[in-house]
Order: sequence, then C-alpha cells, then structure tokens
Amino acid sequence: MRFLPLILRNLGRNKLRTGLTGVAIGLAVLLVCFFLTMPAGIDVFLSQIASNVRISVHHKGGLVYQMPFAYVNKIRAVPGVVAADGVVWFGGAFEEAGHVTFPSFAVEPEHVGAVWPDYHIDPAALERFRRFRDGAIVGRQTMEKYGWKVGQQVSLRSTIWPVTLTFRIVGEIPNARSPLFWFQREYLAQAIHEHGWTLSIVGIVWVRIADPALVDGVMTKLDAMFRNSPAETAAETEKSFFASYFGSLQGFVAIILVVTGLVALCVLCIAANTASMAVRERAREIAVLRAIGFGRGLVFGTLVAESTVLATVAGGTGALLTYAFTAGVKLAAGGWSTQLGPLSGFLVSPAIVGQGILLAVVVGLVAGIAPAYGAAHRPVASVLREVF
Amino acid sequence: MSGLPLSYPVRNVRARLRRTALTIGVIALAVIATSVFLALITSLKRTLVASGSPDNLIVLRKGSDNDGSSMLSYEAYQVLRYLDGIATLPDGTPLVSAEKVMQPFARTRAGGRENILLRGVDPIALAVHDEVHVVEGRMFRPSAGEIVVGRGVAGRYADADVGADMFIGKRTWRVVGIFESGGTSFESEIWGDLRDIARDANTFPYSGVRMKLAPGTDRQALIERIDRDPRYALQATPEVDYYAEQAKSAGTLYLLLVILAIPVGVAAGFGAANTMFAAVQSRTVEIGTLRALGFSRGTILRSFVLESVVISLIGFVVGAAGTLLVAFLLRIALGGIAFGAQTFTINVVTLRVSLRDLEAALVFATAIGLVGGLLPAWRAAHLRPVEALRKA
Repeated sequence: MRFLPLILRNLGRNKLRTGLTGVAIGLAVLLVCFFLTMPAGIDVFLSQIASNVRISVHHKGGLVYQMPFAYVNKIRAVPGVVAADGVVWFGGAFEEAGHVTFPSFAVEPEHVGAVWPDYHIDPAALERFRRFRDGAIVGRQTMEKYGWKVGQQVSLRSTIWPVTLTFRIVGEIPNARSPLFWFQREYLAQAIHEHGWTLSIVGIVWVRIADPALVDGVMTKLDAMFRNSPAETAAETEKSFFASYFGSLQGFVAIILVVTGLVALCVLCIAANTASMAVRERAREIAVLRAIGFGRGLVFGTLVAESTVLATVAGGTGALLTYAFTAGVKLAAGGWSTQLGPLSGFLVSPAIVGQGILLAVVVGLVAGIAPAYGAAHRPVASVLREVF
Repeated sequence: MSGLPLSYPVRNVRARLRRTALTIGVIALAVIATSVFLALITSLKRTLVASGSPDNLIVLRKGSDNDGSSMLSYEAYQVLRYLDGIATLPDGTPLVSAEKVMQPFARTRAGGRENILLRGVDPIALAVHDEVHVVEGRMFRPSAGEIVVGRGVAGRYADADVGADMFIGKRTWRVVGIFESGGTSFESEIWGDLRDIARDANTFPYSGVRMKLAPGTDRQALIERIDRDPRYALQATPEVDYYAEQAKSAGTLYLLLVILAIPVGVAAGFGAANTMFAAVQSRTVEIGTLRALGFSRGTILRSFVLESVVISLIGFVVGAAGTLLVAFLLRIALGGIAFGAQTFTINVVTLRVSLRDLEAALVFATAIGLVGGLLPAWRAAHLRPVEALRKA
C-alpha cells in the first residue's frame, strides 16, 4: 500500500496512453458482460417461469397436431393431478402497433388459478376472468410494452382462426418477464361457431401435480393412457418443454460466446502491450531503483500492480456501465421477440458484473506478469550501460 | 536527401519481432471478431430477405400472415389454376403450385427437438419455385412416402441423409434427395408429396397456392381479381413482399446484431489502433534521430505509415484466414445456426463468410493501420528533433 502513490504516478505519466488503454479495456469488458446476459437469460427464464410440479401434455408429433378436448377431463381424473387447463393457440396479432404478435391462448378460466398458483394472479382478477366472457389476463411485459391498463379494451386479429376478437383486460400476470395473453376458450368457441365450426380440440394441456415425487409416474401414466389412440401424447415437465423450445437458440448463443472470447482476448493483448511499453520506457529508471537497493520482488510487484490497477479500474467501470447499456438496448429492441425469446431479457445480475470485474483483474495480472518479470530480472549494469 | 529505403521498415519489423507479432495478433483478433459478426448479419439477411421469385404470387386465406396458418379448399385451387395471366408449361399446364404446410417435430443431430417446415407439393412446384434445385439424389416420387430435404435441414437434423429413414411428426419418411435454393429459407424446409402430407395433417387439403405470372401480366389487376372473389376469402401477395414481411419479424434480432456489431468493431478497432499507436510512439527517439539526420517530415511520415499499413494488412490476412476457420468450425459444431421463424419453425442459417464481409474487414484493418500509424508519427515528426531526442 505504501507504494500506491508510486503506482498511480507511473500511470499518470503518459495520460493519453493510459486513457486509451483504459477506454479499450472498459469497452471490451462492457461488451463481454452484455453478451453474458444473453445465455444467462435462458437460465433465469427457466428458473423463474417454469415450475417443477407443472407438466405439459401435447401431441407426440408436434404442437401443430391437435388433441381431442375430451383429453383434458381424462387427465383431470388421473390420481396425482391437482388441476389441468387445456389451451388453444390463437396467434393474435395486435394491428394497432403494426401487426405484432405475442403468445396468445384461449384457456379455461376456472382452472387458471389452480394450474398456475405460482403466477400470483390477484384472486379478484381471476374472479372477473371467470365472469366476463370477453375477459383477458395479460402478462406484465406485454401490458407495459403497449401501455395497456386493466379495464381497457384491445382487439387482436387471429392468424389461425378467421376471427378478430375484442377483449377487455381484467387482470395481469404480475411478472415483468411474462408476455402471455390469456382469454376464455368459450369466447373463441362462440366466435368460430358463427363460421360453422365447433371448437373440439385442444393444443396443450398444462397439468399441475400434487408432489414433485409423483411427476414422473403421472407423466408415464398419461402417455400410456393415450397410446394407440389417434392422438398419442408426449408429457414433459415445463422446464423440459421450454428448454427444448429455446434449445434452437444454442447456435446463436455459441456465436455470441465466440465473439465474447475474441473480445476478451483482444483486451488481454491491449493490456499486455501497454504494460510492456511502460516497462520498456522505464528500463533505466527501474535499473536505478534496483541499483539503489530496491529488491526484485518490489519492482515486479509494483509493475504488476500498475497493470492490474489500470485494468481493474477501467474494467470495473465498464462492468458497471453494463446496467446503463442493457437498459438502452432493451429500449431499442422493445420487449419480447419471437426470435430471441428469453435471450432478449438482458437481465444484468451481480454475478455477471462480478465476472466482468474478475476478467479485468485477471487480464491486468496476466498482462503485467511477463514484462514485469523481464524488467525485474534484467541485469542492472547492462541496462545502465545502454545509451538508449 | 531522398526517401528512406524500403528496406528500412522491413528491417525494422525484423528488429522488433515480438512487438510486431503482437500488433498483428491484435489486428487479426479485431478482424475475426468483426467479420464473424458481419458474416452472421449477412447470412441472416440472405436467408430471410432474398427468398421468393419476383414474378410469383402467393395466395392465402384472408387474414393469414403465413402459409403455416392458412387453409384453402380444393374448389379455390381449381378456380385459381385457370385465371388469365398465369405462365404455362409448353404442354399448357399452368404454373400453379398448390401446397400444404405442416410444422411437426423433428430431431436435431444434437438431440434437440424443433418444429420443422414440411411442405407438401406436386412436381410442378419445381417449375414455379425456379430457384429450387435438387442437387443430390433425386426428386421424390408421388405417394411413395419419399421426401427431399433442404441443404440447411441436411446439416442440422438427425437422419436427414440421402437414403436414410427420417422420423418427422407422426411417421417415417424416406429421404431421397437434397435441394438448394441459393441459401434462402427454402433450404430450411422438407418437401414431400402433397397428398402424403395432407393425409398426415388431416385438415384442409391445401395451405396456399403459389403461381408464376406470364410475362407482361398486369400483376396488380390479377391480385385485385383474386382478392375480390366473393366465393373464397383469399388474398394474393407478391412472393417477394411476402418474404420481406416474414423477414420483418426478425427485425428485432437484426437490429440487435447491428447494435452489437458497432461496439464490437469500435472496441476491437480501438484496441488494435491503440496497439499500433503505442508501437509507433515508442519510436519517437528514432524519428527524432532521422529528422536530425536530415530526412524530411514527409519522407518519415510516408515510411512509418507505409509500415503500419503493411502490418495491418498482414493482420488482415491472418484475421481473414482465422475468420474462415472460425466460421468453418462453427458450421461443423452447430450444423447451421437456428433462428425462430414467424411460423414457429426454424430457419437454419448457414454461416458463410462472403467476400463483402471480408472487404469491410479490409477497410477496417487499413483504417486501423492509417490512424494508428499516422497520429503518433505525425506528432513525433513535428516535434523539434532536439526535443524528440530528449524523450529518451
């Protein structure tokens, strides 16, 4: 600590170079932190949204194949099942905001509370949802994105069914990461009935199970129950359902990580370069220090500390600025994106900032070691003898 | 005094081998980071935007925004087939392709599960979609449970090999060929016999109809004619517009990549220029010496800038080779990069480094060399030689 003023003085010698290096390191660490928020988004999404006692039952061949609606009651009768809700994909497009889509489903309102108790939807809102045929419950992310309020009416045009429906928002899912839009199954049934169709199918049945220990048994039983029927099912946990849905993002994540690695490597080279420059310039001075009795360890220590202090301060600033940067990107990207899914959450966690700072410290240390070691071990006499 | 000999910078590189290697390394890294990103952006754009033929129309049920959610009856198809203004084969068959689209599950080679786009067509489809060519194996035979798979599908999904049996959705199909369409989104599809796929889907016979217009047809008039037909609620769209609309849904992703490409370029470029800057700045004394010996400012500047640009170009060459290697490794490791399409199927984007991406990287590397070399050399050359020498 006694040598901190010396270290700071040395950093201040060539202000331009220190500044440029600092900015480069800070910017790179900021980018690394930002990129890390993207893969981390999947984990956060799965742990926040998915429950370990909820499973999905859908057609084995794909979500595009439907199951008979009668399956829902059969599923409810299975021991271990607490509640089940059959949902139908609506594919609603909000034309007022320029034909945007978010996940919209027709659900059975009386079972929502029992299947998704972890969503903490206001019981009064659930009561209204049951009562009003045109009621809708909307995730906070979508509410905030379009500035919707409870009590407001919104129209969505279905891209699947030949109808446009007007809904009254009766409540919200109080989770800023939920893009969902739920409305009554009966409302859809009545609307398509006017076109001579009967709503007799269901796309996915969400099932809540009494105990995590029963989950595997119930899933096996459900699939066995519908084997050899026209619509064979595949039951899976909510986590596995979303994990496989988002599994296709892995390629994108891999590229992001490769670029992150390259940027990190770049920072290391920049820092190493600056450290070696500093040492080279001060070769004589270091030799003088050694000549008047300062030890190798001290010379080595102060030089490594110099590069570490610079990298840590610059990198730490960059890591902290990630908060501001992600806020900006979030604003520009605008909420839920079908392409990015949970990658577009951009949630900066203290862990990510910590990793960024750690990266900066390691970069500073590694970059400083080689030139500092060289400087500390060069023979004093020969350095002093050099004209330049 | 005349100019500095060319051997001066060359020997100089040799004299400072480690520093030069470091500078080249940083520039190469910057080139790789930016060109991988650029390649990702252009590959994505190629897949999403370039699809579709300019003289094709797509007809869907009114209100559907993609053929995955559209439904069309047999009667509507028959009416569409015999409209005026549609191109025909020499034997008089109209170039109208009725298609049925499904999105069942398929298994990826990595063991994941994704929705894949299964398109049921008649043989006429190859004449309507004239950018699609079977390049390996052969076209499927009708009603034989055979399919052909797009190039992107072949790389990404399990058993998507010619001669293999591939399980998709509810049943097994025999893969008999691989087709290409110049990198567009068709390459993320599987094509099979229309009747086979409609039977599997068990709903309306068709999703939509694609038609090729005869040369000289008034496209707008034909579109209006189809849209106004009161019997079937249809809507016709130029195929190119249709794919442009599909691409819009990827706008967020695209925007995000561009937003990120800029700081990546700035950070990497800044770092590389900084390294270069440092390399030249450390030679202030040398520049002072040259000045004291009587070399003019211009001569010295030229020599130093030439040296740093050459070093940048070497960095670019190393970086370009690195980029191709990284892209190749990523292709092998990932089997194509998947992006969710609006149809909830997957667009398989093959990461290809195009010449344009490398051109941009070349400009970038040259700029690094110019800025990183010129600024410090300028400063040193404009110091009084005595001062520059005193910097020792």
